[in-house]
Amino acid sequence: MRIREVVIAVSVALVVLLLAYVIEAGGLGPIAPRELRELAASYLVNAYNPWNVTQSALSLEAVTAIVWDYRGLDTFFETSVLFASIVGVSLVFRGYRERLGIGGRGLSEIVKTSTRVLLPLILIAGVSVALHGHLTPGGGFQGGSFIAVLLVLMSIVFSLDFVVERGLTSGRLLALRSVGLIGVLATSVALLAAGLALGVEAYIFQNVAREGSELSMPQWLLDRPTGGTLIFFNMFEALAVAAGLALAFLVLSLREEEVREALGVGEWYE
Amino acid sequence: MEVVPISIAAAAALLSVAATYLAVRSGDLLAAVVLSAVQSVAYALIYYILMAPDIALVYIPVSVGVLPAVTVLLIKKTERYEV
Repeated sequence: MRIREVVIAVSVALVVLLLAYVIEAGGLGPIAPRELRELAASYLVNAYNPWNVTQSALSLEAVTAIVWDYRGLDTFFETSVLFASIVGVSLVFRGYRERLGIGGRGLSEIVKTSTRVLLPLILIAGVSVALHGHLTPGGGFQGGSFIAVLLVLMSIVFSLDFVVERGLTSGRLLALRSVGLIGVLATSVALLAAGLALGVEAYIFQNVAREGSELSMPQWLLDRPTGGTLIFFNMFEALAVAAGLALAFLVLSLREEEVREALGVGEWYE
Repeated sequence: MEVVPISIAAAAALLSVAATYLAVRSGDLLAAVVLSAVQSVAYALIYYILMAPDIALVYIPVSVGVLPAVTVLLIKKTERYEV
């Protein structure tokens, strides 16, 4: 029976391969050209271009430059969709509070010891991916989901009680998420506010000097480029994503005793 | 592009299709979660080979870390075996 299943799976794969061949041959309409298009070339030239600052994001990584500078408003709404869903989760489970001492005690001592070695490595990788978002591949969302995985791993290996006892309750995670979101919002209007205060023209989501506006975020930290707003966006986004995903996991892992309590509060609201 | 990375991507794609099929057919939901994680690993490899490291970086923690964790939680609240 098992061999029959594998044979079917492989033949499905071959069908997909055949389809890919048809697409490659142009059988389902034109495909993207192999050479660099004009739009892509202009992004690549301008992402880090100190000789033409008004067109540049001064970010060494073109993807982050597009995501948080050229197309910053798109990313802002994209982020809002994710956070609206997390608001939905915490609204459905409103009144939810963790209770200690009703879960298990985590996995075995061997797993705990090896995880203890692993945890700081994941944390460092997440923070570094987030903070170097404007220099290397990665960014706020990537770094934030690394840190969220860390919290999920902790709650599975060391038990939920371990996480809650160290102060990572759902209320605090919600607060951290809000701090991250407020940070993203504040960064996006920082130069606009400065412009209003100084009486100069400025734009929303402005990063460096643009045509008609001389204002600019600080470009260098000691001898390292910061990409202006990009490092702040990545930092706050990482915080918001890590807290938001961990909050969703924590709330979805609720136990029966906690549900009963949450339901009581729900009726009280009505 | 060179032949070697493209053939690695093709092998990963074949693996992902097989894993997806087995995940859909599997009656054991926990096994299905593991199989879909295998599919995600293959996809992350393909993203990396196709020069999208940003996507690979977000794909690994979300589809191998967070998504299986949430799915296992949901399976725990229902039943493990599909009838």
